[in-house]
Amino acid sequence: MATGGCDERQRVATPLTGFSAPFVFGRFEVPADNPLTEEAVELGRRLFYDPRLSAAGTTSCSTCHIQRLAFTDGRTTSVGVSGRPLAFNSMTLANLMWGPQRFFWNGRAASLEEQALIPIQHADEMAQDLGRLVAELAADASYRELFETAYGETSPAAIARALASFLRTLVSSNSRYDQFLRGEIALDAQEESGRKLFMAHPDVKVSLRGANCIDCHSQFLTGGFSARYDGFANNGLDDEEHLQPGLQVVTGNPAHRGLFKVPSLRNVALTAPYMHDGRFRTLEEVLDHYDRGVRNSSTLSPLIVEADNRGGPAGGRISLHLTAGEKAAIIAFLHTLTDQDFVTAGRFSDPFASK
Amino acid sequence: MRKAALRMPVLLAVAAALGVTGWWLYRGARPMDLALYVHPFVGPEPLVLNESRYPNPGGEGRFTVRDFQFFLSNIRLVSATGAYVESDSYHLVRFDGEEPAAVIVLHDVPRRDYERIEFGIGVDAAANRSLASRGDLDPNGRMAWTWEVGYKFVLLEGALLRGDVSEPLVYHVGFDESYRLISTDLRGESLDSRPARLDFRVDILRLFQGSTTVDMAALPTVKFDRADAALLARNFAGLVTPMWPDASGQPDGARRADK
Repeated sequence: MATGGCDERQRVATPLTGFSAPFVFGRFEVPADNPLTEEAVELGRRLFYDPRLSAAGTTSCSTCHIQRLAFTDGRTTSVGVSGRPLAFNSMTLANLMWGPQRFFWNGRAASLEEQALIPIQHADEMAQDLGRLVAELAADASYRELFETAYGETSPAAIARALASFLRTLVSSNSRYDQFLRGEIALDAQEESGRKLFMAHPDVKVSLRGANCIDCHSQFLTGGFSARYDGFANNGLDDEEHLQPGLQVVTGNPAHRGLFKVPSLRNVALTAPYMHDGRFRTLEEVLDHYDRGVRNSSTLSPLIVEADNRGGPAGGRISLHLTAGEKAAIIAFLHTLTDQDFVTAGRFSDPFASK
Repeated sequence: MRKAALRMPVLLAVAAALGVTGWWLYRGARPMDLALYVHPFVGPEPLVLNESRYPNPGGEGRFTVRDFQFFLSNIRLVSATGAYVESDSYHLVRFDGEEPAAVIVLHDVPRRDYERIEFGIGVDAAANRSLASRGDLDPNGRMAWTWEVGYKFVLLEGALLRGDVSEPLVYHVGFDESYRLISTDLRGESLDSRPARLDFRVDILRLFQGSTTVDMAALPTVKFDRADAALLARNFAGLVTPMWPDASGQPDGARRADK
C-alpha cells in the first residue's frame, strides 16, 4: 500500500483517553489488536456516516441506524439499496461492549469487526465491493491520512476495525435509570413500581409480583447476558410450526431454534417497532405479548412458561397475569432508560452534516 | 591415557545424576496447574440435556434438564505446611452439552502433600452482596437475581413430564444462608501426575434426596421461598463428591453419620 502525503515519519495513533463506563456495567474488553484510538474512532465515525460505503452512494450505516432513534430506523424491517425490505429490524447500537458478544439478531458475527463488513457487501443493504471501496477511500487525502495514522493502511480490515472502534464508543449511561443507580435522583412511585416488576421473576409463594423481564434483560445493562449463548432467547413470538431458525443457523443446535439476540433496552422508548422482525409497534403491544400472547414451543424457556402472578395450573395457558396498572408501571420504568445525551451527543453525530 | 579414558564415563555418569536430580528438584519446586474436572450425573447416569429419561426422584413422571449450573467458590488446598488459596475464586460450573465435564484450572499451585481440598457451593455472603465482577460473578449475568437478593447459587431448569402433560421445573436456589463449604480428604491422592487433576461428580438427584425425598410434581419450583431454598440447600453438602477410589470426603462422612 503506497503511503500518502509528504510526511516521512511513522504516524502513531493517539490512545483514546477519558473513555469510561459505569462500574455496574462490569468488565468490557477491547481486542488487543484493535485498541481504541482517537484516529480509529474518528475514522469509524466518518465511515459510519459516509454513503460511499454503498454501491450507489446513497446509503450509509446511519441510514438504518439513526442517532435520534438510538441508532435504529423506526421501520418494521430495514430497507437498503435494493429497496427490498430486509429480514430483520434495525437493532440499537448502544452499549455493544456488554452483553452477547455475537452480533446480528441470530448471532452470525463473532465480533464487531466481523459484523462491520457484512452489511456493506450485502446485496440488499449496501451492495458495495470492498476493493472498490478501498480504492475510493484511498483516493481521498483526508481518509488516507486517518487510515495511515490509525492502521498504517487503507484496507477492508482497517475499515472493519475503524467501524468497530466507533461502535464501541457508543455508550449510553446517562438515562434517568443511570442517574437513579448513581444515587442522583429518585424514580417516581410508578417508575419504581415498574422497576421492581421488571427486576422480579414472580413467586406467588412469597407474594412477589413480577414481569420476569430480568430473566433475559440484565439488571443494570438491561441487555442480554454475555456468557456463551445466554444472551439469546426464544421469547414466545411463534408456535412450534412457525419457529424461525434463529441462533440454530450459527450453532446447528436444535435447542437453539427460535432463539434470537436479547437486545439492550436502553432507549427502548425510541426504538420502535420491536422484536427481531419489528412485529410490535408499541411498548403496550410488547407488554401485552409477554402478559398473554406468548406461544409455546419446544425451545421456550421454562422461566417464561412458569412465570405467572396467579400461579396457574400445570399445562394451563401461559400468562403473567399482570394488571393494566402494572403494565403501565413497567412502561413508565422503560421510559427512564431514555438517554437524551446519547441521542444528541455531537461525538456520535454525522461529521459531514453542515454545522 | 588409560586414566583419562576411565574418567570420562564416570564424569558423564556424575553429570547425568546431577542433571536428573536437578530436574527433580526443579520440577518439585515449580508450582503446577491443577485441573478440577466436574462430571455431571443424574443418579447413576451421566447428564444428557433435553432428554426425558430421568425418573422424578419422589413421585411419578420423568424429568428433562435444559440448564444446570452452579457456583463453586473459595477453593483452598490445605497442607500441614500451608494452604493454597485461589484468589477471586468464583467459578460458574455449567453444563451446556458441549463438553462431558466442566473444568476449573487452578494455576501456580505449590507442590505439597495436601491433606484436603475445600470449596463452597454457592457464593459467600460478602461476595453475594457485592456488585464487583470477581471470577465468574457477574451482576449482569444469568445467575444474578437483583442486587437486593444476590446470586442464584444453583440453577436447574427443565420440565417434568407426566403422561401428556409437561410442567416447567425451575429451581433457583440462593440466599446467604444456603452457602455450604465442602471439604474432601486428599491424603493418599497423588497430585504429581502430569497433568495434575482431580475428578468430582456432581449429582443432580442429590439435590432432591436429603432427609426427605422431593416429589417434583409437588415442588416444581424453588425461587424466593426461604424454607424451600433451605430444603434443597441442605443437600448441597452431598452435591459434589470425589470420584477417585477410597475417597472419604466430608459428604461421604456426613452420609455415614446419617445412618
